[in-house]
Amino acid sequence: MTRLAGFALLLIAAAAALALYQIKFEVAALEDELDATHRRIVAHEEAIQVLHAEWSYLNRPARIADLARRHLGLQQMSAEQILRIDRLPERPVQAVALDGTAAGATLGGAE
Amino acid sequence: MMRRAAKRVPPLPTTDCRPRTQTRVRVEGAAAQALETGRTRLLVAGVVFALAFMVIGWRLLDVALLTRGYEPRIAAPSHAPGLAAGRADIVDRNGILLASTLPAASLYANPHEVQNTAATARRLAAVLPELSESEVRTRLSADRAFTWLKRDLTPRQQYEVNRLGLPGLHFRREQRRVYPLGSLTAHVVGFTDIDTNGLAGIEKSFDDVLRGASEPLQLSLDVRVQHILTRELSAAMTEFRGIGAAGLVMDARTGEILAMVSLPTFDPDQPGSASEDARFNRASLGVYEMGSVFKIFTTAMALDAGVVTLDDGYDVSQPIHVARFTITDFKPKGGWLSVPEIFMYSSNIGTVHMAVAAGTALQRRYLERLGLTRASGVELSEVGQPMLPSPWREINTMTVAYGHGIAVTPVQLTDAVAAVVNGGELHPATLLKRSGDAAAPGKRVVRRRTSLEMRQLMRLVVRHGTGRKANAPGLMLGGKTGTADKLVNGRYVRNARIASFVGAFPMNDPRYVVFAMVDEPKGTKETYGYATGGWVAAPVVGRVAEAIAPLLGVAPVRDEAPDAGTEQLLVRAKARAERIAAN
Repeated sequence: MTRLAGFALLLIAAAAALALYQIKFEVAALEDELDATHRRIVAHEEAIQVLHAEWSYLNRPARIADLARRHLGLQQMSAEQILRIDRLPERPVQAVALDGTAAGATLGGAE
Repeated sequence: MMRRAAKRVPPLPTTDCRPRTQTRVRVEGAAAQALETGRTRLLVAGVVFALAFMVIGWRLLDVALLTRGYEPRIAAPSHAPGLAAGRADIVDRNGILLASTLPAASLYANPHEVQNTAATARRLAAVLPELSESEVRTRLSADRAFTWLKRDLTPRQQYEVNRLGLPGLHFRREQRRVYPLGSLTAHVVGFTDIDTNGLAGIEKSFDDVLRGASEPLQLSLDVRVQHILTRELSAAMTEFRGIGAAGLVMDARTGEILAMVSLPTFDPDQPGSASEDARFNRASLGVYEMGSVFKIFTTAMALDAGVVTLDDGYDVSQPIHVARFTITDFKPKGGWLSVPEIFMYSSNIGTVHMAVAAGTALQRRYLERLGLTRASGVELSEVGQPMLPSPWREINTMTVAYGHGIAVTPVQLTDAVAAVVNGGELHPATLLKRSGDAAAPGKRVVRRRTSLEMRQLMRLVVRHGTGRKANAPGLMLGGKTGTADKLVNGRYVRNARIASFVGAFPMNDPRYVVFAMVDEPKGTKETYGYATGGWVAAPVVGRVAEAIAPLLGVAPVRDEAPDAGTEQLLVRAKARAERIAAN
């Protein structure tokens, strides 16, 4: 009985040691992976920082102005081109029949 | 433990414990007593140990299986190291990056580890052409364990050096400050040294803040406005062959500076190679006698203190002789001029009469209130101290009235003009973005009524007076020209001038104040040889206003109705002048 219990205990201890060993290695592997991920995060953050700077560099107003002049053919907007929305002419009223096609005649009283 | 101890008790030499019952031994007397004591002690010790193990066992269960309230159900992510907290970014009001910190590798050597000095130097110089081979050799021959070879390598250079596989060369990761917009915001943002310590501009004045912060520092600048102002100023500077130029765009309601330009400018990535003159911030550090632009303050003071009304006027036909000076008008109009006309045609004589009527004490008080007598509080390390007349006598009162004998920075001037036109409240000029619409309450410097009158007068200057070239259709721009002879070695030089213009738009409710100034412009054939504020700086302000108004969402003023009052003012003034002339 005692011998059996002792044997069982020994077995359990061995199994526990084995499991511990296993888990310890798994944890070490995970930690390595975590470290690598952190390093990658830092590398990506640095890359983002660099890209931000590059984005800002490429968006220099002087460069944009030059590109717009060469490729868009747009001119500077003048005050005359800006209207208040209430100054816009009303959209012409066109009667629409129930089936969605334009009706032949304007609705009575639409004028 | 207890059991094993008990087993050893039987004195008989037995090879086997069993059968236990058959070999029961009885011991009597003193021995029995001692045995009993021993057993009791063992029992006590055993119980104590059993309890201790039970406690440990329970604790094990507790730690391993049971959860407590404060323990998170999900493991918190271990803190990612992230970027080494470098110097914080600087961004404009729309979040455009103005200054950033990027990682960079710097190359250093441990001369003790270098094996072949000559070969190492030769191969390094081949990869990094900026390094001179002889210098590298000297450095590598030094009896030290550390010597810098080159700071801030590009990733490509680092790769090339690594590929050489030379022993004794190492990299150190460092931070490098970069300015993606280059010279555009150089004077405001400033620059740092190689160890990223701020040396100028915002980099210097906010050095401590930038060092510790992780959030970017947001300025009030708008790079689009900055670009437009730079473009127009440098065009004017080139056209009139000026030696420098400065300009500002300020939010009239909050004192936020949207653009601050000083030309010539420099590359903040290489501040060392820029001249002293290029690094000089003319907009905040330079103090200039602004000339007639100061008539805004003289007129505002006279109107505000009730010294004159818009219907009053002065005879400007006679030059004013005082001490050994004679004050004349640049373009004499002669006869009696009303206050609006004096302002519109920029009459020195009329303005001096107004200032004398107001008196020296009042003038000082008003200029003080407008913040023109002490250094601006703008958040830069380069802020110029104004030069004031000392002592401030009546003759000084006269010259200060039209902007001579007092020198202020463009920032001070623009801020004071903003206060005059925005309804009469002075907001300290700032380079930081004001959060939200909660504008800090300003300090009242002139009455609201005075401010409204000054708007009309400034509008008249652009409609009919000296500033007609600043007119921007639909924007109701108003302003004042200024042309001042430069003081060189204590004497005014006729051909060295400061031509300036300060404008605000739209004048029915000013949103932005624009200031432009060209240092020592020369007249051209197109301007008939004139190099005055009206010819040189006014068009700059007009063009800048036209370009920035749509960007900043300033609704154009369509009809002439808001200008009708201004026109009436002029008609009334002219009628009165005729009446006086007739008498």
